[in-house]
Amino acid sequence: MSDYAIEADGLRRSYRSRTGWLRPQTTVVDAVRGVTFAVGRGELFGLLGPNGAGKTTTIKMLNTLLIPTAGTARVLGHDVVRETREVRKRIGYVFGGDRGLYERLSALDNLRYFAELYGVPAREQKARIGELLELVGLTGREGERVEGYSRGMRQRLHIARGLLHRPEVLFLDEPSIGVDPVAARDLRKTVADLAAGGTTVLLTTHYMAEADELCDRIAVIAGGELRALGTPTELKRHADGRRVVEVEAYGVAPGTVELLQALPGVRGVQIEESGAAQLLTVQSESDVDVQSDVLAALNGVRLGRVSARQPTLEDAYVAIVSGDGGPARESLVAA
Amino acid sequence: MRLLTIGGVISYRALFNWATPAMFIGTLLVGPVFQLLFFAYLGRQLGVADDGFYIVGNAVLAASALCLFGGSMAVLNERRFGTLGHVLLSPRSRTLTWIGRALPYAGNGLLVAAFTLVMGKLLLGLPIPAGAWPGLAATLASAALACAAFGLVLGAFALRFRDAWLINNTTVTLMVLFSGTNVPRESLPGWMQAAGNFIPVTHAASAARSLVHGASFGSVAPRIGQELLIGAAYAVLAGVLLKVFEAESRRRASLDTL
Repeated sequence: MSDYAIEADGLRRSYRSRTGWLRPQTTVVDAVRGVTFAVGRGELFGLLGPNGAGKTTTIKMLNTLLIPTAGTARVLGHDVVRETREVRKRIGYVFGGDRGLYERLSALDNLRYFAELYGVPAREQKARIGELLELVGLTGREGERVEGYSRGMRQRLHIARGLLHRPEVLFLDEPSIGVDPVAARDLRKTVADLAAGGTTVLLTTHYMAEADELCDRIAVIAGGELRALGTPTELKRHADGRRVVEVEAYGVAPGTVELLQALPGVRGVQIEESGAAQLLTVQSESDVDVQSDVLAALNGVRLGRVSARQPTLEDAYVAIVSGDGGPARESLVAA
Repeated sequence: MRLLTIGGVISYRALFNWATPAMFIGTLLVGPVFQLLFFAYLGRQLGVADDGFYIVGNAVLAASALCLFGGSMAVLNERRFGTLGHVLLSPRSRTLTWIGRALPYAGNGLLVAAFTLVMGKLLLGLPIPAGAWPGLAATLASAALACAAFGLVLGAFALRFRDAWLINNTTVTLMVLFSGTNVPRESLPGWMQAAGNFIPVTHAASAARSLVHGASFGSVAPRIGQELLIGAAYAVLAGVLLKVFEAESRRRASLDTL
């Protein structure tokens, strides 16, 4: 028996698309370019990366929905290309968003149907479904049609569906996307409990705090390549030697980010819309105080809160995906 | 077995667009009766055939439209709801899963065909011998089964093509023409008559007409057998296509929405 729940070795996947009828043009996009990692049994493993980084494609190769263009992958020792049935018996798949459920059916009927599809023995179905409805907090609402469910309720139903057949490995693809803070906290607790109970979890998320709180190890993927792999503490070292200034501003002019980026000592600038305000996050080298230069560059812009803080996992993530600074990539990938 | 029966019924409720009472009555019961009346009055006007020809033909045809569109909905709506990937992740037998999906449409098709036939008889006064009813039930059932299998073939294309409705719309129209349900087959060009031999409904409609005109069950049994054989052939074809397109979806990422 393999020591690992998931093993990916040089996984690659290209998408080929054709456009035009008279003069057809074929475009090939390399979504995943040789990703290698292993996830231990019972581990909660995070896969982080920007949109289009290749996270979902990686998961789809691991859960048998896509065949890798090159490389191999095994789940609980079973090859994902040749032993699909063995893999499918042992995995659960949950993804975020509103879709993926039968809208016209109740939650109960959704679960009953997937219990059949996932081979839950008939004599166990009723109890198992009741147990899962309780776990995800949908008891009492199970008879309602899914079309009337909120996103949070749908997300909880997705999780219940993914757990029906007691999978040993659970793939969670952005499960907390669009979920309110309370529901997201409940979801994190559920995921943590599952991992504590021995289920191997591969989680993709955009929320760094979620990854920091939950994951034993995290892999950062960008442009289809693995950029870093390690524990959250190890990854934070990518932002070592930096300081962070956050500025709340109103009406930042186009081109300001580039202006700030060009300031001496600045390593990275992010801008995030927050209602009427914009939050500027400026990372700099630790021995350079860029705050006064940043404020000077924002002359004329109405400013709110200005603060300096220590780097977080999110800062480390930005440093990794933007490809500047931090420990050598190879050393952390091998960790 | 539960996947075939319970699974089939749940998937029918989940995926069939016309399962609500209003849609069911309007689209599946009232619509075919008006179509029957239209062709019957047109036939009277043109003197092409008697009422019985159109009543029986349109009753059998009523089952076909439902089964053909139902088979497609059983796959296409999975894409619409984003559930197809979850279904394909099932480790259970695909054959049971897909046949389970087709069977409720066959049952529904039989019900609709029987309703249309009874309404046609009542509204236009078609005499049907009492002894013909069991044979008619078997004939309509064979047509419904064959059409459900054919519908699954069309549904299989939904695994490969997003715009599979196009195939459905064209096929339903061709069936009206080739099967001889509303146009006597003798008046069709030879190639159309030949094509009609290989699609569902043709043999069942012919057998049902003979039964209404007093033929014995034994004399029409071969035609019912032909209808069932065609259904079985399409069921096998559906199974092969579903398997091929599923494998291709893993290679070509053609199920890009999950």
